[in-house]
Amino acid sequence: MLTFIEMEFLKLKRSKIFLLSLLMAALPSVLMFIATFAFDETQSFDALFSTVNMYMSVLFAILLFSIVISYLFGREYNEHTLKTMLTIPISRGKFLVSKYVMFLIWIVILSVVTSISALAFGFLAGLSGFTLGLFINRFIELLFANLLLFLTFSPFVFISLFITNMVPAMVGGATLTLVNLLVSGQNWAPYVPWACPYLISSGEIADYGVSLMIPYGVILATFIVGIAISYIYFTKKDVPL
Amino acid sequence: MTEYIIETTGLSKKYSNNLVVNSIDMHVEKGKIYGLLGKNGAGKTTTMCMLLNLVYPSDGKILLFGKDPRNHSKEVYSNIGSIIEAPGFYENLTAYENLEVIAKLRGNYNPLNVKMVLEMVDLAHEKTKQFKDFSLGMKQRLGIAAAIMHNPELLILDEPINGLDPFGIKEIRDLLKKLSCEYGVTILISSHILSEIENIADVIGFMDEGVLIDEITRQELHERLNKYVEFEVSDIDLALELMNKTGFKENKDYCYKRSLGEYIEDLDSGENSEESTVGGTIHLLSNLDLRDKFNTLFVSSGIDVRKVNLCEENLEEFFTRIISND
Repeated sequence: MLTFIEMEFLKLKRSKIFLLSLLMAALPSVLMFIATFAFDETQSFDALFSTVNMYMSVLFAILLFSIVISYLFGREYNEHTLKTMLTIPISRGKFLVSKYVMFLIWIVILSVVTSISALAFGFLAGLSGFTLGLFINRFIELLFANLLLFLTFSPFVFISLFITNMVPAMVGGATLTLVNLLVSGQNWAPYVPWACPYLISSGEIADYGVSLMIPYGVILATFIVGIAISYIYFTKKDVPL
Repeated sequence: MTEYIIETTGLSKKYSNNLVVNSIDMHVEKGKIYGLLGKNGAGKTTTMCMLLNLVYPSDGKILLFGKDPRNHSKEVYSNIGSIIEAPGFYENLTAYENLEVIAKLRGNYNPLNVKMVLEMVDLAHEKTKQFKDFSLGMKQRLGIAAAIMHNPELLILDEPINGLDPFGIKEIRDLLKKLSCEYGVTILISSHILSEIENIADVIGFMDEGVLIDEITRQELHERLNKYVEFEVSDIDLALELMNKTGFKENKDYCYKRSLGEYIEDLDSGENSEESTVGGTIHLLSNLDLRDKFNTLFVSSGIDVRKVNLCEENLEEFFTRIISND
């Protein structure tokens, strides 16, 4: 598994998509930095971290993660490397799990980039109220939300295997971003898998008056269904040349 | 007892109602080069993909190294090198990096080995060029490097010379022959380029419309190729008359072709056609040992015999013939 992950990083060498994903992860911080001056939006680090986390988990992450996951799986089809990998041989199950673990690592990297960029732009904007504890807490909050989001992305694995170019995943990501916006503040937000992670990590779930078991159950069910259909599809289907 | 590295029984693949591989019984002997020959769409690639577990068979059995690959997947496939259609590599990586990925995942990465194999396919000097900037020939050579890098006992190569120039083709052909002769590597190679298979294979399997029509050794092939004697004569009509008089039948014992150039010249000249003569070629298909008698007969009858050749049907003609017979 470690070698597989190491090789996944080597495959990203000179990859524009990796750089692009890092820039996208820093985008909420950039926008908030601009908003600080343009609209006098945020005055403290706490408000900055909080807003960046919300924008990231509710909006940007959905689209960004869908691009990342479709690239991770889709490139093996588009560059015709899947046949090379599977004849090494690597078992299809191991291949699927390893790719999904790589997706997890990528998400952790993006979370770090988001938090550090927020910190950097906060200092650039001259905000007040910075403490290390605050930074760590807000980072953990973002990381937790993104890890829960990671679990809800297993259906995207199936989409990436089924339609191997990035367009369907991006359309799906954009659609879910809109869904998240629509359900925001609605009673049924805790039942939408991609809206739950931020509600849980920020503690806003308490405002909805539902048991914590519900959003966790929704996330877990999405994860299991997504993984199961992806695994069945990938292991039963012939490899396209 | 013959040791087979690849043995299939009733191997079939069906897509919806389309049977693309139809109950193939293939036998590839250890240390031999087996050429799989067939037109585009004959089922060669699908057969190879089934052997490599990239495509699941609809029916039939596969034995690789005498073992069922479904139960000994790791053991069997780590001993196989392959190229299926266009080689697939990561476009943003160099040749070395691509081989490094494969070797590390295979668990036998050795930098010296990677460099050596790149030198072998003449890609060692391409240190910074990314795969996306490679020519078709370079991509193919990298595919061959990846296939042989781990010293496999079996190579499954689908159209490996596609895109190579004549020098590249010769290099790869020599390399494959060397691997087979000196290192005992068994090679299953497919191609629709008949001359290439004829040059390299010890055994040839003929495929058409998903069916393995025949499997024959090079020796058997030579014996089964039709032979004939070709006479190029100055007066085709007189020569044919003489052949008919000896009791030879057209299309059975001989066939002929008028020299078109001479025929047109003859028409243009406007001379009395009854007096003019047209040359042509006669193919003596049976009783080849009588060729000297016919030569004497033609010459004594005033016919100029310009050429007498003992010819052999080439692989292309043989392939066309057995497909038509089938």
